[in-house]
Amino acid sequence: MAKPRDRLKLREALAGYGFMTPAVLILGCFMLIPIGYSIFLAFHKVDLLGEVSYRFIGTANFERMADDPRLWIALRNTAKYALVVVPTQTLLALLLASILNMNLRFRYFFRAAFYLPTVTSSAVLVLIFMWIYNANGLLNKALDALGLPTYNWLGDPAVALTGIMIMNIWSTAPLFMVVFLAALQDIPDTLYEAADLDGANWWHKFWKITVPMLRPVTFYVVVMGVIGTFQLFDQSYIFSAGSGGPNNSTLTMVLLIYQYAFSVLDMGYASAIAFLLAVTIMIATLIQRYVFKEERLG
Amino acid sequence: MTFRSSVWRTVLYVVLIAYACITFIPFLWALSASFKTLEEIVQGGIRIIPQHFTLENYRTIFIREPYFLRWFLNSAFIAVTVTVSNLLFNSMAGYALARIRFPGSTLMFYSVLAMIMVPGQLTIIPQYLIIKYFGWLNSYQAVIVPMAAQATYIFMMRQFFVNFPRELEEAAYIDGLRRSGVFFRVVLPLAKPALAAQTIFIFMGAWNEFLKPLMVMSEKAMFTLSIGLNTFKSNYISFWNYIMAASIIMTVPALIIYIIFNRHFVKGVTFTGIK
Amino acid sequence: MKKKLSLWMLLLAVVMVVSACSGGKGGNEASPSATSSSSPSASSPSASPSAQPVEVTLAGWGASPEEQELLQQVLDEFQAKNPDVKVKYEVIADRYMDVIKTRLIGGEAPDVFYLDAFEAPALIAENVLEPLDGYVTPDFDLGDFEEPMLNAFKGTDGQIYGFPKDYSTLALFYNKKLFAEAGIDNPPATWEELLEISKKLTKRNGNQVEVYGLGQAPELARQMFMILAYGGRVVDEEGYAAFATPEAEKGLALVVDQHLVDKTAAQPTDVGAGWGGEMFGQQKAAMVIEGNWAIPFLQNTFPDLDFATAEVPTVNGKKGTMAFTVAYVMNKASKNKEAAWKLLSYLTGKEGMKTWTSKGFALPTRKSVAAELGYDKDPLRGALVAGAPYATPWQAGPTLPIVMNNFNNLFVSAYMGDMPLSEALKQAQETANKEIRNAR
Repeated sequence: MAKPRDRLKLREALAGYGFMTPAVLILGCFMLIPIGYSIFLAFHKVDLLGEVSYRFIGTANFERMADDPRLWIALRNTAKYALVVVPTQTLLALLLASILNMNLRFRYFFRAAFYLPTVTSSAVLVLIFMWIYNANGLLNKALDALGLPTYNWLGDPAVALTGIMIMNIWSTAPLFMVVFLAALQDIPDTLYEAADLDGANWWHKFWKITVPMLRPVTFYVVVMGVIGTFQLFDQSYIFSAGSGGPNNSTLTMVLLIYQYAFSVLDMGYASAIAFLLAVTIMIATLIQRYVFKEERLG
Repeated sequence: MTFRSSVWRTVLYVVLIAYACITFIPFLWALSASFKTLEEIVQGGIRIIPQHFTLENYRTIFIREPYFLRWFLNSAFIAVTVTVSNLLFNSMAGYALARIRFPGSTLMFYSVLAMIMVPGQLTIIPQYLIIKYFGWLNSYQAVIVPMAAQATYIFMMRQFFVNFPRELEEAAYIDGLRRSGVFFRVVLPLAKPALAAQTIFIFMGAWNEFLKPLMVMSEKAMFTLSIGLNTFKSNYISFWNYIMAASIIMTVPALIIYIIFNRHFVKGVTFTGIK
Repeated sequence: MKKKLSLWMLLLAVVMVVSACSGGKGGNEASPSATSSSSPSASSPSASPSAQPVEVTLAGWGASPEEQELLQQVLDEFQAKNPDVKVKYEVIADRYMDVIKTRLIGGEAPDVFYLDAFEAPALIAENVLEPLDGYVTPDFDLGDFEEPMLNAFKGTDGQIYGFPKDYSTLALFYNKKLFAEAGIDNPPATWEELLEISKKLTKRNGNQVEVYGLGQAPELARQMFMILAYGGRVVDEEGYAAFATPEAEKGLALVVDQHLVDKTAAQPTDVGAGWGGEMFGQQKAAMVIEGNWAIPFLQNTFPDLDFATAEVPTVNGKKGTMAFTVAYVMNKASKNKEAAWKLLSYLTGKEGMKTWTSKGFALPTRKSVAAELGYDKDPLRGALVAGAPYATPWQAGPTLPIVMNNFNNLFVSAYMGDMPLSEALKQAQETANKEIRNAR
């Protein structure tokens, strides 16, 4: 019952709240309120345009999802997409960052070059790639030169999603490369020097020192990767001109939500789907947190 | 250096150069397209050096468009303000979540994560209504304030601060500093790499931001560059030449920021204060 | 270190203050009207003599720099003739309908804005547009408009909600040089003829096709008239999809079979083109069915191309084509309806329309203006104008977006040979109707 300890705890708490205040204000106002509103909408049949009306329909929006074939196609597309893209871009980013952290010549040039895709807005990138994916474009010409089969990347449902995957990995891996690069700076040299003395080679050092030290940041990269892939919108919207085709092959969850929200103005159902999406991502994140065995506040 | 390791080195360089080429080529094409006429682009064929080199696309954008400079300044102002406020607010919040024990911190952390998971398409209309309610339509704050703190980077900063060695903090306490002092004078200066990463990401995001300004700005003078340059599209035909020129103009500032702040990803003084 | 940090804080504070202050500078027009001197009722527009000009906001989507200049010219002419009205023109750079809908919800929508016929039924049904019947005066000359275009903007209650400002139909574009090389003198008049000559026009080099007879666009917007040709329908009276019938299939089979069986037609992406105009310009297709927008594009981008136009060949003995039209509509919540009507009626009146369509970017929906500008006799545009009286407007009630989405998705599969046409149509119809039913 030491009084100074209670006072210390109080000071800590106040400091904590103080530090959080600006973020809480901004996010609370511009994120929490809209999200709360969306959750509210998920349980109603809404008409926001003209005569505004809300009709409480309980879980009807959620029940409707079971009967919606396009929803399950979108979910499958999104999951397939995430399962391929996240591991690939994480590994690629880690590899690139490790390499670029070494004392290579032209290190800065490579860093700048590799980051170029991320620095460009996704809209521009998609346009550039749509040209590259053209049936007569760069990619097919290159594949042809190597004796590999060519595809109609833009028009064939079987490969359209793959095309977006390649484009996304190429443009997002550098972003996470930067994150890893920053984190690599915080690994003390002494650890590596000690390992050198023990006769470890690059491989050992990488797996026994680098990877474990990078755990929190890797958690971030994987979680953000999953969230990013689950929320894929820009690329598939531009690629398919908003339709999700050909044959629903580029239909992602957020594109579906967008179609329901804006094309049909069914805000209630769109909110319900978004709710489902958020819950799915949350579950995925919790699983990852368990896997990564996060360091608790200690 | 043994023979084997020099072979590895060479292989490494080859791989890096190959990858750099793959990275460069799309941009090379965009750059070359920006100097071509629409005619040449649409006629098909792949030529990096334009047949009829023309500055007309850039001229149209820079000169014929009277608002270009204003758009550029708008985007620059918004991007800088958003970056600075984010650096401050996100780091503070991330640090609090990582290091300070206070009731509700776990809940707040999960709320931050949850916010990242909600797709932005849904929040467009409610955010618009809130901004209109504040009377901020067609003003800078309409775009700046909602972006002044971002859940994604609060999360990122938290992950960075989680591994921060306690000894430095405890040393500062013993010296008589309070939490805020510890943060501003000891922790933050040593978090340069993370701050540099944030700067790059946030600046880029704010600079390229399209949908938010599109919704809230109807005055041509208040457009950002990303919107203004997008008006070169008609319902049926895309003017690739203008679009590519506009893309290059948009990309250059973000690239410059990256090159400047990239220097912080260097092994300098580490957290342990020992080099 | 301390100095640097406090410098940042100072900078931040300054920036925040400046942005808060300049909020006023950025022109915070919270409401579209500058003055409240106008009233929605039919009082005299020039009630208060020295009143400030009423401001009317007009919004449209982006266009080429030349088109934008032309529109500005029309607006300047209008403002010169109507000094009591000032027009504020906004360009919505992208996602036009999303932005309009958001602004309508927020009560910030412009007074007058573009509306495509495709989107019209849904928006009319939402009751956010002002019915214009009451504003029309005899000299506005309602009968001067082409019927299909005008009808596209009538609500289910029969009232008119917008006046079409321009339109384009589809016509057959053909490459005169390739025709001469194949020994063909005249463009095909019936669809059978088209299939025949496509075979002569398709050039092969081993396995690769260098030139296709016809360039196709396998989407509902372009093929709707094929469905109607044998008596099929796209939607029924209640708005449900109704295209999975033998009649509809007959028309669509002509398109699919020419691609899969005859192999004399392909879609633009197959040959690396973005759309029909590109495919035609690159001479990868000897014929395409495109609209008025292709003419300036081809003339500017492929000046050496020798081409001509003709009406779309008849299918099942009947003439048919698609019409795409855009109208000016008025916001029901507008605070300056009288002034907005002045603007709207000028833009769709004989004078305004004449200026706007004088450069050939789009065709005038007024018969008198078309005659005056001579479009019906224009060598290239005549075929487009001839199609106006029998064209099918690209619209079919508020459920068309859902129907179109599902149709396009599965029609592509049938087009590529991944599934038989009848099955694709059936599946598309079922999915579309499920969605429509669930949405009600």
